[in-house]
Amino acid sequence: MTLVPFLSAVGLPLVLAAALIWPQTRALVWRMMPFAPLPALALALLAEVPLNAQAGWLILGLTLGLDEVSRLFVIFTGLLWCAAGTTARHWMRHDPRATSFGVMFAMAQAGNLGLLLAQDALSFYAFFALMSFASYGLVLHSRDPQAQGAARLYIGFVVLGELALFAGLALAAAQAGSFLLADLRGAVPSDMAVALLILGFGVKLGVMPLHFWLPPAHGAAPVPASAVLSGAMIKAGLFGMMAVLPLGSLAYGDHGTMLMAAGMVTIFAALLLGVQQGNPKAVLGFSSVSQMGIVALGLGAGLLVPEAWALIMPVMVFLAAHHGLAKGALFLGTGAFAAQGGAPGRVAVTFALLVPAFVLAGLPASSGALGKEALKTALAAGSAVWLPWLVVVLTLSGVATTLLMARYVALIWRSPPKAPEQTTPEAILLPFLALGAASVSLPLTWPLLARSLAIPVSEAAPGALWPVLLGVVVGVGVAVHAHAQRIGPAVFLSHLTAPFRAVGARAEAVMAARRRSVRRLAYAIPKTLGETAERWRLGQTAIALLIAVILAVELGATLRADTAIPAVQQIDPDLLDDLKLIPEF
Amino acid sequence: MMDAPLLPLFILLTSLLASPVLFALPERAARLRTAINLGMAALKVMLVAWLSLKVAQGVIYDLRFEVLPGLEFKLQADPLAILFIALSAVLWLITTVYSVGYLEHGPHRARFFGFFSLCVAATVGIAMSGNLFTFLLFYELLTLATYPLVIHCGNAEALRAGRTYLIYTLAGGLVLLLGTLGLWVLAGTTDFVPGGVLTDAAAQNPLAAQLLFVVLIGALGVKAALFPLHAWLPIAMVAPAPVSALLHAVAVVKAGAFGIMRVVYEVFGIETAQALGMTAPLAALAGVTIIYGSLKAITQDDIKKRLAYSTVSQVSYITLGVALASPIAAVGALAHLIHQGLMKITMFMAAGNLAEGLGVKKVSQMDGVGRAMPGTMLAFSLAALGMIGLPPLAGFVSKWYLAQGGLEAGQGWVIALLLGSSLLNAVYFLPMLHRAWFRDGAADAGAPARPRIGWMLAAPPVTTAVLVLVAGGFANAPFSPLEWTRFIVDIEYLE
Repeated sequence: MTLVPFLSAVGLPLVLAAALIWPQTRALVWRMMPFAPLPALALALLAEVPLNAQAGWLILGLTLGLDEVSRLFVIFTGLLWCAAGTTARHWMRHDPRATSFGVMFAMAQAGNLGLLLAQDALSFYAFFALMSFASYGLVLHSRDPQAQGAARLYIGFVVLGELALFAGLALAAAQAGSFLLADLRGAVPSDMAVALLILGFGVKLGVMPLHFWLPPAHGAAPVPASAVLSGAMIKAGLFGMMAVLPLGSLAYGDHGTMLMAAGMVTIFAALLLGVQQGNPKAVLGFSSVSQMGIVALGLGAGLLVPEAWALIMPVMVFLAAHHGLAKGALFLGTGAFAAQGGAPGRVAVTFALLVPAFVLAGLPASSGALGKEALKTALAAGSAVWLPWLVVVLTLSGVATTLLMARYVALIWRSPPKAPEQTTPEAILLPFLALGAASVSLPLTWPLLARSLAIPVSEAAPGALWPVLLGVVVGVGVAVHAHAQRIGPAVFLSHLTAPFRAVGARAEAVMAARRRSVRRLAYAIPKTLGETAERWRLGQTAIALLIAVILAVELGATLRADTAIPAVQQIDPDLLDDLKLIPEF
Repeated sequence: MMDAPLLPLFILLTSLLASPVLFALPERAARLRTAINLGMAALKVMLVAWLSLKVAQGVIYDLRFEVLPGLEFKLQADPLAILFIALSAVLWLITTVYSVGYLEHGPHRARFFGFFSLCVAATVGIAMSGNLFTFLLFYELLTLATYPLVIHCGNAEALRAGRTYLIYTLAGGLVLLLGTLGLWVLAGTTDFVPGGVLTDAAAQNPLAAQLLFVVLIGALGVKAALFPLHAWLPIAMVAPAPVSALLHAVAVVKAGAFGIMRVVYEVFGIETAQALGMTAPLAALAGVTIIYGSLKAITQDDIKKRLAYSTVSQVSYITLGVALASPIAAVGALAHLIHQGLMKITMFMAAGNLAEGLGVKKVSQMDGVGRAMPGTMLAFSLAALGMIGLPPLAGFVSKWYLAQGGLEAGQGWVIALLLGSSLLNAVYFLPMLHRAWFRDGAADAGAPARPRIGWMLAAPPVTTAVLVLVAGGFANAPFSPLEWTRFIVDIEYLE
């Protein structure tokens, strides 16, 4: 295998960074920026693994390659850089410091892709350093006091991490007698070396207490940069540990315990710290810290019980991809939200943002839930003492993430991040939606991509709904409470009862109207009756007369009939005389 | 290819003969002077390339002239000498270009270039000395040739600095003379021989041998700026930029470090030195110097002073690597001889450009200079990052080998020392880079734009920065400094 594809994968971003120096090529470079990770992506998607290529004369013997694990890392990392590059192109279009950003962005990208391809300790360290130091410019980009502080903190931790890494790699290489990462994995590093390596990579991973740099840096960097910082670059810490530590072959009980304990603390402490933040991107940063706590949990379990690592490892890769895509989508979505001019657009983007937020929180059957369930299954093969706690922690982490997401959604409305003055909202929306779609469809695409490594995930149970539901309930409850506190409980109560009072008032009004109309009727009916009666009195008389007439006629008729009947023999002669007096008969 | 046994002598003569010619040239014959300077420098590079090819093929050069009975003037071209000559030849060429640009309209150019040539001749002589006597001659010549360069500006500050410099180095030279006599008495010879000449004498009289070690290292430690003897170096930075560059990268400081190498490897022999129990204190002293120099550097606001203290720190890496008595550390030490030279010369020339182009002489004035002088500052940044030890730059390679060597020798503290030094390097270099690239200059409002400095000033630091990158990035390629040092260490440790 020649080195050419590898060098082009790493070299294209570097060439772009160099080409940005000349004003003539800048426009072209920015147009190319989204495509910079394509050679790496193509290599990862198309090539048959494992691959190896050597150049003995470069550095101290450069070895680049690709295996099942790094292939997956390259795929999601490349995807993230693609999306972030697209966003950056539009986000930075009118930025006065766009060139500086572009150079740093491309160099960090080269470092990030390169370290995934590196197969020897020195080139790995070189790419790792390139990525870390170039990101300084990304964090500092806005140059405001907040960014200055974040960048200072960031570079301090980077230097600390690099030093620990240098010492750890030097010790491990001396003990292994080789620079190759595979040999380092297979050797027996001393406790000191393992501790230094965990320290060095832990800084990048943001596991507590090495997390201080992460939320401010992710909060201060421009949107496209924080997407890759959080989505892609912190995974380098996980990748580094997987690449260098003798996971799965040797047990390091103390280190494993430490890492697991740190992970557990991280998951929940990040929640507590995160909900206090006022910057939505810093909340996302803390959510990343919390998620990396889960990763640390898995790594620690692997260090503790090497036999379990074979099961944990594929889940770790899946969790990395899951978090990378979901968190990248959330960061880019934050930008898309800020770029929207009007409220309707913002509402729409908020709804779209809820999708990756719920994926991250672990809605059943989403990648978040599958990853956690698979991790629980894998951890069952590990330490029996820790297992119950781990299961509880993993389950509750869903609640924690949901709460952080609730806080985040509330914050993007209350203090939306700054967007460039002139921008095309649609262009920024597109990469966000693409990443969101990739994140949602991850459970479906993962078996195709990861092949045999996807088995633990595809066999995992869909997961429970209640943690997310509980989180939503608590989140809404807290929001309501906060609202009540903000406007005062009495006012809130009055707000709360307002609908009922409105209904009551309306009912009362209706009743009053009814009463009024009844009262009106009470006046009106007798009057009408009276009038009617008056109107009808003549008729009545007439009718009465008529009746009288009829009665009279009837009577007369009856009397005549009586006379016609031959019953005269009984009639006395006086009566007959009377009859003769009636002339008509 | 024809064989030329006098090749080392020719190399020495290229600069030694150029010197009187340059003195003799009238001040206004600038073109001719430049032509001679560059021509000789280029010729020397070619001769050195030829010589290294020959030596790599196994040809041995050994020239002796008997001065007194038993006292020989001896030139030899072993791989260790080649390492140092190659460094000085390449950097001389580059610095000559830079000096011509730097002093284009300055006064006393004839004097300057005359002594400049003499200085390089002395350096080459030091490299090729076959015994301590010859070494002493060139060592003293170097002192005398650099003094006029240090005081070139001629103002009071320069004269004061020159006086300090002379006191330190002449005293060092005197002690070295004593040491040479002592060696002569103890061993009966002053020859440099891989494996040492004192094995028997040390066994018979360890105390005298220990004393001799202290005397010799003390004498050489003045120029190598070892801890209590370093004070002249930061003061001597009043010299013009090209002189500082050459002083720090090749000539004086490196002559001291190179001398320590010769003494430890070829006068005592590493095993004898170890048996005498002298390597551990030397390593400790080097460690102290490394940390001390870095700590002092942090507090300096003057760019050149900060660089000078950085040199104090970085040159002791070489001593440390020698004193660790491990072949791998020795590779690191020898490679650092080259790597530090490349990095530091880049930084001094860049600092000179900043002073020339923008009048920036202090760290606190460096805001936004990256935009004003991108090429120069890019070179400076590469060198600074290399000093911190970031791969694939040259400094990383030597640091890596020193760390591995320390572990091989069972001296874990070396790692801690290197980490501490890297951290301090980061503390004093990264703020400079931050200011240069990530701050908008206060002067930006007036927009001094890009100052026009000629290519003769702009190109040399860029060239050496590229060499820094190449020396690190292609460390494993044949004829890289690292490969050559491996070749040397095979010789020193197999004898």
